[in-house]
Amino acid sequence: MGVLKIRRLLCVSLRSKLAVIKASTWFTARKLIVSTPRRHELIRRSMASNRASAAETTRFDFLVIGGGSGGLAGARRAAELGANTAVIESHKLGGTCVNVGCVPKKVMWNAAVHAEYLHDHSDYGFATEKVHFSWETLKAKRDAYVSRLNQIYRSNLDKAKIETIQGYARFTDDPEPTVEVNGRKLTAPHILIATGGQPSVQSDEEVPGASLGITSDGFFELETLPKRSVIVGAGYIAVEMAGILATLGSKTSLVIRQTGVLRNFDAFISANCTKELQNNGIDLWKNSQVKSVSKTDKGLEVTIVTKDPEKKNDEKISTIEEVECLLWAIGRQPNTSGLNIGSMGLDTDERGHIIVDEFQNTSRPGIYAVGDVCGKALLTPVAIAAGRKLAHRLFEGKKDSKLDYSSIPTVVFSHPPIGTVGLTEEEAVKSHGKENVKIYKTSFTPMYHAITSRRSPCIMKLVCVGKEEKVVGLHMQGLGCDEMLQGFAVAIKMGATKADFDNTVAIHPTSSEEFVTMR
Amino acid sequence: MAALCTVRRRWRKLKCLQIFTRNLTGSYDYDLVVIGGGSGGLACSKEAAQLGQKVAVLDHVEPSAKGTKWGLGGTCVNVGCIPKKLMHQAALLGTAVKDAKKYGWQMPETLRHDWATMAEAVQNHVRSLNWGHRVQLQDKKVKYLNLKGSLLDEHTVRGLSKAGKETVLTAKNIVIATGGRPKYPTQIPGAAEHGITSDDIFWLNKSPGKTLVVGASYVALECAGFLTGIGLDTTVMVRSVALRGFDRQMAGLVTDYMEAYGTRFVWRSVPKRVDRLPSGTLQVTWSDTGTGREHKDTYDSVLWAVGRAPETKALGLDKLGVQLNQETGKIVVGPDESTSVPNVYAFGDIGEGRPELTPTAIRAGKLLAHRLAGQSTDLMNYDNVATTVFTPLEYGCVGLSEEEAERRRGKDGIEVFHAFYKPLEFTVAERDASQCCIKVICERGGDQKILGLHFTGPNAGEVIQGFSMSLQCGATYRHLLQTVGIHPTCAEEVVKTHITKRSGLDPTVTGC
Repeated sequence: MGVLKIRRLLCVSLRSKLAVIKASTWFTARKLIVSTPRRHELIRRSMASNRASAAETTRFDFLVIGGGSGGLAGARRAAELGANTAVIESHKLGGTCVNVGCVPKKVMWNAAVHAEYLHDHSDYGFATEKVHFSWETLKAKRDAYVSRLNQIYRSNLDKAKIETIQGYARFTDDPEPTVEVNGRKLTAPHILIATGGQPSVQSDEEVPGASLGITSDGFFELETLPKRSVIVGAGYIAVEMAGILATLGSKTSLVIRQTGVLRNFDAFISANCTKELQNNGIDLWKNSQVKSVSKTDKGLEVTIVTKDPEKKNDEKISTIEEVECLLWAIGRQPNTSGLNIGSMGLDTDERGHIIVDEFQNTSRPGIYAVGDVCGKALLTPVAIAAGRKLAHRLFEGKKDSKLDYSSIPTVVFSHPPIGTVGLTEEEAVKSHGKENVKIYKTSFTPMYHAITSRRSPCIMKLVCVGKEEKVVGLHMQGLGCDEMLQGFAVAIKMGATKADFDNTVAIHPTSSEEFVTMR
Repeated sequence: MAALCTVRRRWRKLKCLQIFTRNLTGSYDYDLVVIGGGSGGLACSKEAAQLGQKVAVLDHVEPSAKGTKWGLGGTCVNVGCIPKKLMHQAALLGTAVKDAKKYGWQMPETLRHDWATMAEAVQNHVRSLNWGHRVQLQDKKVKYLNLKGSLLDEHTVRGLSKAGKETVLTAKNIVIATGGRPKYPTQIPGAAEHGITSDDIFWLNKSPGKTLVVGASYVALECAGFLTGIGLDTTVMVRSVALRGFDRQMAGLVTDYMEAYGTRFVWRSVPKRVDRLPSGTLQVTWSDTGTGREHKDTYDSVLWAVGRAPETKALGLDKLGVQLNQETGKIVVGPDESTSVPNVYAFGDIGEGRPELTPTAIRAGKLLAHRLAGQSTDLMNYDNVATTVFTPLEYGCVGLSEEEAERRRGKDGIEVFHAFYKPLEFTVAERDASQCCIKVICERGGDQKILGLHFTGPNAGEVIQGFSMSLQCGATYRHLLQTVGIHPTCAEEVVKTHITKRSGLDPTVTGC
């Protein structure tokens, strides 16, 4: 660590000696000095300082490492604002969201929703004969759609005259922040790290046989529907994967360490979602952890240890046999290995996320980071918005351009879906005091289920604070909640109060009208 | 005749006596009598009872021309919102089957839909709601009278039972909330004899079969939409424009989608006559107003959706001097729902200029109850009321249409942001999304206050409610920009709109 700090100081002092113009103003300055004798002088000087490699170093105004949601959005906006931009991507364009995240996940969720509709068909008068589900058909369609998106992203970059560089980026030891890709050196006064993250895995040392399992990345490679699945984890990815597999017909077990899923969500949602998983036929293993995994000729054998929460030392060992798919969904980690960010002196947190300020600045001037690699609000639209805001700050001189990370709405594509924005009741009580928090709750059967034998309730909750009952949190789970949330999120961002909800006329008959008729 | 006269005389005497004693004592049977047990009337009477008022509600359903009857709850519950949304759901499930195949579900090529199964399920649900309303009135101590009400004076209501028995009630205040009923055209031979309306369609126990829907209001399009969706050969006959009063562009998208979906449209045409053929089918003759030519086709059912008329005729309003709008027949009301006669109020579909929507009637009824009980002076705000048309492609909107915004602010005074997006649901299902559109109409200057918001796409009703609230809070285009999207949803496209119509740039959304 000490060595790193010294190196960083050295870099900074070198930079100042070379009279390189300060990073944040470099772009505007460059415009001013275009084809003036000073510019040539500057280039000569920087070449002189870097004798061997400088000749081959390609210069850009903006260099983006990572062609995912955040990187692409930032790059395209910067290019629109006139910056000469390049994007480095090691894999497929589009990143997690397009290739192994939101998009294919929602396609799978949609397929599962069709399974639910099929249950309801006879109630609505349709004669449904035996239907069969072909995972193969679905996967082929999904993959084709994802490749189309990859192509669209590529052509968007080409249209914007952004250079796409295929390969792994690694920071060099050059005094000026420089990146090497396939032996080619690239530099820019502004470098954006948007490398995202990847699923965390258990090592074989921690859990013998853990590597026999897959992660959400592997889920999207499955060629057939597993007959028997075990999902490990209690976060939203575990909930979504378990829901999709179970609804599509895989016998699914979910192994969680405590008694409920989504423990950082409002307790109302956490409890309801846990119940819904069980209602959907998912075999829930509470207070449990995978102890070991072994392979037999009939599939995997997953050994699980279950603690009795009452009696601390009482442990029960059980085995699930003939498992075709063991999926670890135990969290995500930043993609920073191989980047050599250590030598850049970038500050990271204990889990390896790059630490940035509210303007996405890392601890090193001229280097920025957005998206999952920062470990905060791991959501595509957050990365996109942060990337664009940064581009406006760097290349349009909008000094205050930054993303407000408060009240970000998010949806979990569980069955039924969850929508949430703002504070949980617990958080509100903690920050405002119990006496200042007022809760409104409702639970009802959506009209869709009025004539179906399959029923799932819709639950809603508003967390309000203060005398004016400002709405600081909105939480819901039920049919249609995925599409309901966005508009309310705008209003909550505007500082809506309970009275504003009450003053809004309902739309009948919808589920969302329950929010404006709540008492 | 003579007997009738004596009765009338006696009646007058009785009435005089009543009024006399009442004026003497200053006491009435009830604090409030509500005529009409629909969404508005029930909400108003329950709210008043909660506030300690002594309340009676009179409800009576005059059977439709075809003899269809139903229970307590009014249009919404029995022949409106509820059954139509359930049948719309049935139609959506029909579309879902086609999509499901693309999503890997393998099933027989042809799918049969049984009207009777659906109708029975829907009707049972409606009956459970009728019952629920009865129970609620009882719980809240509202006197429910299954009587046809009319006004004798500003404090007296006459109730007539089905058997012709009369009950007279006096009340401090009288509220009229009798709503409206579908109209039949008067000049078309065979129209009433052979045709049905939205009062009948949900209560048919047999499939209507090949159907002609005449009219292009939201009622017409919604009915035609679900009939097409469950597999019936359906035609809509439009005289001039569809969805009058709604945004023109969006209305066009709704009907474009329906045409692509399989609903036939006969534009610029008016029916001339309806005849029953010996085979039992109905032959409709119509004329194309463009070419003047006559055409004929046969249908199993003809559904008239040519507008709704208020239920004011039997209320005895003329004698009392309650002012009506001569053209519409609706009651002229003030901002506090008062009529031209003191102590008599009217709201809901029967009020002139009021939106014909359940939630506005409910809200207005509750507020009226509070004012009549002396608990508040708050008036109903009829601005920024959101609504959704449950056509095959749903259309939700709040605020002004582009035409209305242009009329009020001028073409240079507004900025229209628009986007044509593809719902992720449509991609794998290989569905055409050319009608999925979002339009945000803003003031041009300053923070660009939003004047109107329009959305066509899946779940439009669920999408637009939250936005209607943000409009209620005074949302600007900037507020949309400051809100992070929810990925991947259709609703997120609203906060992502950035192409103005003025720019002429392509509004098609590409990528995330």
